[in-house]
Amino acid sequence: MAVIAVHQFAQCITCHAWSPDQSMVAFCPNNNEVHIYRLVEDKWEKVHVLEKHDQVISGIDWSARSNRIVTASHDRNSYVWNLEGSEWVPTLVILRLNRAALCVQWSPKENKFAVGSGAKTVCICYYEQENNWWVSKLIRKRHDSSVTSVSWHPNNILLATTSTDGKCRVFSTFIKGVDAKDSKKGTSSDLKFGELIVQLDLSSSWTFGVKWSPSGNTLAYVGHNSMIYFVDDVGPSPLAQNVVFRDLPLRDVLFVSEKTVIGVGFDCNPMVFAADERGVWGFIRYLGERKTVSSGSTYGSQFSEAFGKFYGQSKHGVSNDAVETSKTRGAVHDNCINSIIPLGQHGILTRRFSTSGLDGRIVLWDLENEQDLLEL
Amino acid sequence: MGSTLRLYLTCIRNTLDAAMCLQNFPCQEVERHNKPEVELKTSPELLLNPVLICRNEAEKCLIETSINSLRISLKVKQADELENILTKKFLRFLSMRAEAFQVLRRKPVQGYDISFLITNYHCEEMQKQKLIDFIVQFMEDIDKEISELKMSVNTRGRLVATEFLKQFI
Repeated sequence: MAVIAVHQFAQCITCHAWSPDQSMVAFCPNNNEVHIYRLVEDKWEKVHVLEKHDQVISGIDWSARSNRIVTASHDRNSYVWNLEGSEWVPTLVILRLNRAALCVQWSPKENKFAVGSGAKTVCICYYEQENNWWVSKLIRKRHDSSVTSVSWHPNNILLATTSTDGKCRVFSTFIKGVDAKDSKKGTSSDLKFGELIVQLDLSSSWTFGVKWSPSGNTLAYVGHNSMIYFVDDVGPSPLAQNVVFRDLPLRDVLFVSEKTVIGVGFDCNPMVFAADERGVWGFIRYLGERKTVSSGSTYGSQFSEAFGKFYGQSKHGVSNDAVETSKTRGAVHDNCINSIIPLGQHGILTRRFSTSGLDGRIVLWDLENEQDLLEL
Repeated sequence: MGSTLRLYLTCIRNTLDAAMCLQNFPCQEVERHNKPEVELKTSPELLLNPVLICRNEAEKCLIETSINSLRISLKVKQADELENILTKKFLRFLSMRAEAFQVLRRKPVQGYDISFLITNYHCEEMQKQKLIDFIVQFMEDIDKEISELKMSVNTRGRLVATEFLKQFI
């Protein structure tokens, strides 16, 4: 089994993030607080509670190198938290938003972060030394609806966004004085701030969970119509593929390698997608096998087979207790999974990751034992 | 249970299973608000196509979905005047106690007898499968309940009439 640990932290978790060394986890228990837990002798202990927001927190990101936490909330604000001594000290970021902030992510160099909002804008925030605060620059008038997810390209300039208008867009976020001109090998630094590089109109429904592959060559995002989209050669002539799957829509994705993607969502069970040698993406399998309930061992094999069949069918059957057990047993989460975070160093290969969902669990997964997936 | 009823309920169950993919979503129009989009209908892009499931002309179910909420409206079979009155009274009785049911809407959508409103908060607190079971069970029971009520009204009517007419014997 790919699951290595399950922790029930709260009744419901909206988002979570890990400290750089993975000894601490920060999450929002579906209210205006951030709880930070530390692993002390195999037990998770609550060490900090960050209270500053006054509405539910929609996004947390913990920077790997500078050890700073950025939070975004429905109260339109964002805070950057610095650890000073044993206290987390908040700095308010003037986002200049008039609607909720929905998602947040540090850039790879950690000198900027992006906030997607319900005001149909994206804020790019950077630190201004002379004023000693975080300044926000807005990308306006590009989105027709709320921005649900943002993702930074490894080059620290390009930013991909998904929105409830069904489109995925890629912007340049070059800020003079923050981004050095020397990254001029590509075309990326010639672009002005807020320039739209490509707009992908593949989905007929809302889009979520955009991510770049580790090299930044491929972009993946999901649509609410149970589709996942993969885009290569992001630029003037992108190459797009879409994969339709049978189950409920996804909410978020994670590249574990250039050719493998894990998707999580309303089906409560992570799905694995992979590209073959020709670069054609497809659905591989579920990560947590959904075992049929077999009280089998005591019965003969034929009988347990019949049992399996019976329980398999009752997934959609009439209401009795068998329905719930067969639906939720096997899957580790029993409500929508809404975020998936890689664990370990930022590298080409991610073997371990964690998922959190509306059931209040944080589950750690390891692909080490999944031989068939490692060969992909 | 008749086979058509079973099919009707299975169809509703599967539709609800697909439709109940809700998430927290703050209002795009009003600052610091969070409202069921299916009720406000201010942003057309946040609504999905409504699904109408009909068993026959008298019995139908409308499922409207948005990003953070879902509305299910039912029309219950009413064969005659008496059933009509009973349904109206009975569902009104339930609607007036809507808080006790959590997912019940205080007022049905126009053209329907009773409506449910399920938001992302319900999905966070309750198990999705149980919620769907509740709706389907409700639909199963409502017909039974109405015909039982009708029967008891008739029985009582007969009894009263008999008692009343006894004095003339």
